[in-house]
Amino acid sequence: MNHLTEEQLVAHYFAEDANRVVSETHLRICSRCEQVYEEICNTLAVRAPEPPALKPGYGKRLWQSIEAPLQPYKATKRHYFTWPRLVLAGACLLALAVAFLGGSLWQRARPRSSEATTSPQAKERVVLLILNDHLDRSERLLVELNHSSMEAGDVDDSLQTEARQLLPDNRLYREAVSAKTDPIMSAALDHLERVLLEVANSPDRLSSADVARIEHEMNTDSLLFQIRVLRARTSRPEPKVDSRKGASI
Amino acid sequence: MAAKTVKNPQKKLPNGRGLLRSNTGMRNSDQALIRGVLAGDKEAYGVLVERHGENMFRVAFRIIESEADAQEIVQEAFLRGYRSLAGFDARADFGTWIYRIAVNCALQVLQKRKAEGAVPITEEYDEEHSGVQLSDGGAGPERLLLDREIEHRRHAAMEKMTEDERLAFVLRHIEGLSTEEIAATLDVTPNNARQAVFRAVQKMRRSLTPLWVKS
Repeated sequence: MNHLTEEQLVAHYFAEDANRVVSETHLRICSRCEQVYEEICNTLAVRAPEPPALKPGYGKRLWQSIEAPLQPYKATKRHYFTWPRLVLAGACLLALAVAFLGGSLWQRARPRSSEATTSPQAKERVVLLILNDHLDRSERLLVELNHSSMEAGDVDDSLQTEARQLLPDNRLYREAVSAKTDPIMSAALDHLERVLLEVANSPDRLSSADVARIEHEMNTDSLLFQIRVLRARTSRPEPKVDSRKGASI
Repeated sequence: MAAKTVKNPQKKLPNGRGLLRSNTGMRNSDQALIRGVLAGDKEAYGVLVERHGENMFRVAFRIIESEADAQEIVQEAFLRGYRSLAGFDARADFGTWIYRIAVNCALQVLQKRKAEGAVPITEEYDEEHSGVQLSDGGAGPERLLLDREIEHRRHAAMEKMTEDERLAFVLRHIEGLSTEEIAATLDVTPNNARQAVFRAVQKMRRSLTPLWVKS
């Protein structure tokens, strides 16, 4: 039979044993362990002297006895501008200034390779990409305008909304493309602007008759053709094409 | 056998069980008082002293077994508590915090006693504060003599314990703290706390068992 160790018996006394049932069962059948356990119980039944009863007002007297040397805390107003904090803040500012100066010097010293690559060609590519998108939307609007003129009744509001959205963009592009550098594009955008103005600023809801009138007066078929040609030009993968070549169309 | 056998000792244990778990209302109130103290209201600390003073005295006395030393420990604990209050973690429980300070103060007194080889005040039997509680019935001269011998041996065993063993023993057996609470209070691992309690019980048993055999 495996007897319980003294440590196990002490743990059992304090109800800290891992397997309480096993210990209890063992104690019932093992007189030797039971005797040791009884000794532990007897030992721990000997109590130390209890603290003497304190007179009423003990807490108050205790406070009075220690109160004098205690300095009141200063209201917890945080001192943000203590010397260590100021030094730290100064060091941070200095590091920031050095980093900024170093950065700007380095920027100046390094070759402007990216600038060189991005300047004219890249800009042109971006402009063409945006312009192509604008022409695409305008082409779709003109196609819808053509269809609307063939159908009876009022024209869908979305046509006017789209025209209003295209109008400010078109104005910007027209101003950007000067008549000198690209007269065909400039003329087409100017023509488009007038059509867009007419559609966007129509006071009432557009009817198919109104659309037919606009088509007729402003020659939108011709404009549509021009735009298709210009789109084909702007969407070409080779951006080096001289825009003046478009004039031969 | 003179001593009364304790069959269900666990039921007698919780002298101070739950001591480290003060109720939420008191805890919130303590927090408010601490904020007051830190805002410059010194008197608010007086309320905390009045509220926790008796508990501190009780534990100090049980560890040190001397009324005068216990009084000093309580004063020292509250003074230290006041000075360290700015570093008090607002999420913690003030009762537990000051309790630990008191235990540490008691530990220092024990260490000082050992270092100086001082004879504790209660080394000699003090009839007034005789803590032996084994008398069952008539207290004849023989019984009184035995009680005196038991107390003498109990006290001697306490003195033989190391500071950690003594603290762990008092906190576990008399204050009724759990092993984890003792470990946290003494800043040791739970296993070390358990071992300290065991060694303390072992020393106490070796000191007292001859009396059971004799009687």
